[in-house]
Amino acid sequence: MVAVTGAQVLRETVREARRGLSGAGVLLVGHQAGEALVPVLVGVVIDRAVDGGGVGSLLFWLAVLAVDFAVLSLSYRYGARAAAMASVRTDQRLRLRIADRVLDPRGGAEAGRLPGVLAGIAVSDAQRVGALGFALPAALSAVAALVVAAVALLNISVPLGLLILLGTPPLLFLVHLLGKPLERRSGPEQERAARAAGVAADLVTGVRVLKGIGAERAAVDRYRLTSRDALGATLRATGAQAWYSGTVLALNGLFLALVALVGGRLAADGAMSVGQLVSAVGLAQFLIGPLEVFGWVNGRLAQARASAARIAAVLSAPPAVGGDGEVAPIGGAVTVRGLRHGVLRDGLDLDVPAGAFVGVVASADEAVALLDCLGREVDPEEGTVEVDGVGLDARAPAAARRAVLVAGHDALLFTGSVQENVLAAAPVGADPGPAMRAAQADEVVAGLPAGASTEVGDRGTALSGGQRQRVALARAVAADPAVLVLHDPTTAVDAVTEARIADGLRAARRGRTTVVITASPALLAVADRVVLVESGRVRADGTHADLLRDDARYRELVLG
Amino acid sequence: MSKDRSLLPVASGAEIRAALTALVRPFRVRAIAALLALVAGAAVSLVTAPLLGRIVDLVVDGRGPDAVTAPVLLLVVVAIVQGLLAVLGVALVARVGENMLADLREWFVERALGLPLQRIESAGAGDLTSRASEDVALVGEAVREAVPDFARAALTIALTLVGLAVLDWRFMVAALLAVPIQVVTARWYLRRSSPLYALQRRYAGAQQQQLLDTVGGVRTVRALGLARDHASRVRSRTEDVVTTERRVVRLQTGFFGRLNIAEFIGVAGVLTAGFLLVRSGTSSIGTASAAALYFINLFGPINAVLFLLDTAQSAAASLGRIVGVVNLPAAEAVEEPREAADGSVRVKGLGHAYVEGHDVLADVDIEVEPGARVALVGASGAGKTTLATLVAGVHRPVRGAIEIGGVPLDSHDPDRLRASVALVTQEVHVFAGPLADDLRLARAGATDAELRAALDAVGATGWVDALPQGLATEVGSGGHTLTVVQAQHLALARLVLADPLVAVLDEATAEAGSAGARSLEEAAERALAGRTGLLVAHRLTQAAGADLVVVLEAGRVVEQGTHAELLAAGGRYHGLWAAWTDSR
Repeated sequence: MVAVTGAQVLRETVREARRGLSGAGVLLVGHQAGEALVPVLVGVVIDRAVDGGGVGSLLFWLAVLAVDFAVLSLSYRYGARAAAMASVRTDQRLRLRIADRVLDPRGGAEAGRLPGVLAGIAVSDAQRVGALGFALPAALSAVAALVVAAVALLNISVPLGLLILLGTPPLLFLVHLLGKPLERRSGPEQERAARAAGVAADLVTGVRVLKGIGAERAAVDRYRLTSRDALGATLRATGAQAWYSGTVLALNGLFLALVALVGGRLAADGAMSVGQLVSAVGLAQFLIGPLEVFGWVNGRLAQARASAARIAAVLSAPPAVGGDGEVAPIGGAVTVRGLRHGVLRDGLDLDVPAGAFVGVVASADEAVALLDCLGREVDPEEGTVEVDGVGLDARAPAAARRAVLVAGHDALLFTGSVQENVLAAAPVGADPGPAMRAAQADEVVAGLPAGASTEVGDRGTALSGGQRQRVALARAVAADPAVLVLHDPTTAVDAVTEARIADGLRAARRGRTTVVITASPALLAVADRVVLVESGRVRADGTHADLLRDDARYRELVLG
Repeated sequence: MSKDRSLLPVASGAEIRAALTALVRPFRVRAIAALLALVAGAAVSLVTAPLLGRIVDLVVDGRGPDAVTAPVLLLVVVAIVQGLLAVLGVALVARVGENMLADLREWFVERALGLPLQRIESAGAGDLTSRASEDVALVGEAVREAVPDFARAALTIALTLVGLAVLDWRFMVAALLAVPIQVVTARWYLRRSSPLYALQRRYAGAQQQQLLDTVGGVRTVRALGLARDHASRVRSRTEDVVTTERRVVRLQTGFFGRLNIAEFIGVAGVLTAGFLLVRSGTSSIGTASAAALYFINLFGPINAVLFLLDTAQSAAASLGRIVGVVNLPAAEAVEEPREAADGSVRVKGLGHAYVEGHDVLADVDIEVEPGARVALVGASGAGKTTLATLVAGVHRPVRGAIEIGGVPLDSHDPDRLRASVALVTQEVHVFAGPLADDLRLARAGATDAELRAALDAVGATGWVDALPQGLATEVGSGGHTLTVVQAQHLALARLVLADPLVAVLDEATAEAGSAGARSLEEAAERALAGRTGLLVAHRLTQAAGADLVVVLEAGRVVEQGTHAELLAAGGRYHGLWAAWTDSR
């Protein structure tokens, strides 16, 4: 993984979007210049036509005004479109880069980040960087508006122009200062208001749990407290908000009075015309817009920098495993030698002959450590895992996983139909039937409204836990890998179905290497051999029936 | 999911108005004051333009620089009064709006949680959840952001038209020339905006969900070599977002472009009116200037009102969905409710069908002594879960009777039913907030010691103490993430605190793994101590320890007895047990 910094991400972003950005910039400059000219032209119409001019000059200046409107309108239309597309394309590019990094077979991007956080970076942070697509052209156009307004104002009157140009920034700064404490205070208060909405959704989501134990009344009482607390917080914030908007309104009005005073006196002295006075007043109002844009862009830039840094951290995450060989397995004999990793501290040795069906009984932590090594999620701290005499780490991670498929008990289903899920990793043109029957997923399908074409919903949530588990197992069986490693494949399945799955699985994997890490007697009973792992080493090895008879510890673990 | 669900109702316009009237009633004095303050504020702000016009007239009349002072002082007064009225108006509007909003959301939550489970399930839980989250949030945003802006802008427009008419009615007529275009534009926009914004939200949600799937399931993706498939899924979801974004920005720029035409026509109209009126001597240049300034200042409010129409439209739709739930009738009270005498359970001639003619349960008879443990064994689809939910009173059976403690389920007071029989299901939900608050939902006012005792009873003390702040740790959405096993421990601890006479457990989870499943079985065993327990057995070891094993097949009881009796009988149960203990 090439390490990148946030600043690099930002630079690349701007470089990739430069065409859209410059086009949008030019067009939005035209729009702002046109907007600035509206009050100027209204003043001119008053001077040249209303103030004793002829019909001809009225029509002429109205035509000029029409052209100005056409220019500002069209340049906004196409400028805003260009800016929006630059923004959303940038956003998309970053999102895909993050997704590609996460999906890299070498892994590592998700280390230390919760899925929600990582998805949040791919959505919100990419969006914040993408927002530069709008912010940069907007800043450019604000500068243009400022220049046009300044030229127009100074042309009308130097003293009045200077008053407006130099008076507006301090006015805005004052407004900014007034708003600061409000912003600081409103943050936590908005959070409390949002919390009330969140708690309502949370309680309703858990309504079945509440009803199961008769906690509705307690939940409603709890919610009322949260809601009232949020109400109190919002009301305090609205008080401050009201004072803020009132003050801003009054400040703007006072500034306008000042402009009217100075402008009126100048006009009365004959230093400018009445039309120019109208223009000046209009421009003073107009200028507030572009100047506010600067504050807004500044905030956006700060956000984009922070977001780019988070994105860069994901893109630069070191890979969890490496290697690049492409050795295909032949028989699927698995040899583990002196394996030490995590809780497996004692050097585990394990031999699974090609084509064997082996059960492994291990603690949850040991199972996870062993599965991580077999699936090449990590490379072991010490020891080797070989398939047909070739180390897994001598293969590229994707090739290693093609040889050894590790199906965790928490494997997810993905959006799509049952059939699509079952065939997701199967060879092209494979028949889903045998795998579905082996995993008793045909039973699941029989009870679904649209059979195998039924959509499983996000993460399979349209199915029950037991149904999901059987579809996931069918998917692993359909993939037909040389070595299949299953972890607790039947925990959510009833005893009757579990017994049928054990038989089906055994038959479906005949002649193919299969390792099942489980404490389920039904699955262990069909294994050729069962290995009991304790404290990082093999403690007992034999058939299920023998171990049940001879090993008290084993009996306790699987039938206890 | 199937379409033939009976969705929860949506309120009609009249019902929404009635609900709003009821909501505003307690605050009507303040609401009127708020309206008055807003109208007064807008009226005062309208004095600005004529004052500026007055200055223009003074200049034209050549009255000298000092004559300007008086109107400028009035401008100062206008600015200050306008500011003060805004403070009052904004504060009052927010106060009334937020109070109504709080009442509305509390009504909603109370009614939503009071709905019978059967009603919620027939509508699909997603319907209620989306009303509680999206609709409540949307109405809240509208009250907080759109309503004040909308009200102020609309008032400004209305009063400006009045102001123009006061200057000269012909100015108002000229300004109204822009209205037809604005009306057409607004209709053009509204026809397209709501479906498009809905599409935009849906695609954004799908993109988010896809990323969550891919990121959250990345181990599965890697193990099965699905990276390429997922990369293209993400790409197509993001492409959908880009495509809708393009349509949205086209719609919005088209909208503003059409409004530009209206702006030009209005300005040109007002200026032409000024030209004609000044020429005929009916109006001064100052008045004409004032009229022009009035109209320029209208651009912002008009854009705001028309743009916010869309928010108003979707807020009204959300309001309809919220009021629809609020207006649902409350559960009927039972006449002469009776309390269960003990924890005995009697099921007689029970039959049930979700779809008429398709029995999922038939002729079920079970007698359970108080304090006994019953294990339901059978393949999925045999009717175990249906039987469990019927006994817990979630669904009403089609045939037969269920008695808890000698009292038929229908004769229990609905508010007190859960003291007799409670249900813990597969659904794992951890309530957001401190862990102690989650537990206290089951027994409000429980002391910390009681909470600890309940956690101890299910063997959860260890991990709870290991949490960063113990019982005070924030858990659930937005807090510390609990494992599936921990979440189920909490569910069982809640059961202990709720302390029902009879507990029904149907709580196996695929995500727990076998070690987790084992620890949950032990926890469930302890949670059932001292009460009658009816559990859907997923491992035969649970059945082996039960007082009564009920074997179901295709909705009927095929075997019933103790573990030893059924083993001796050599039937189906015996076959299952043999599969566990023998090698074949």
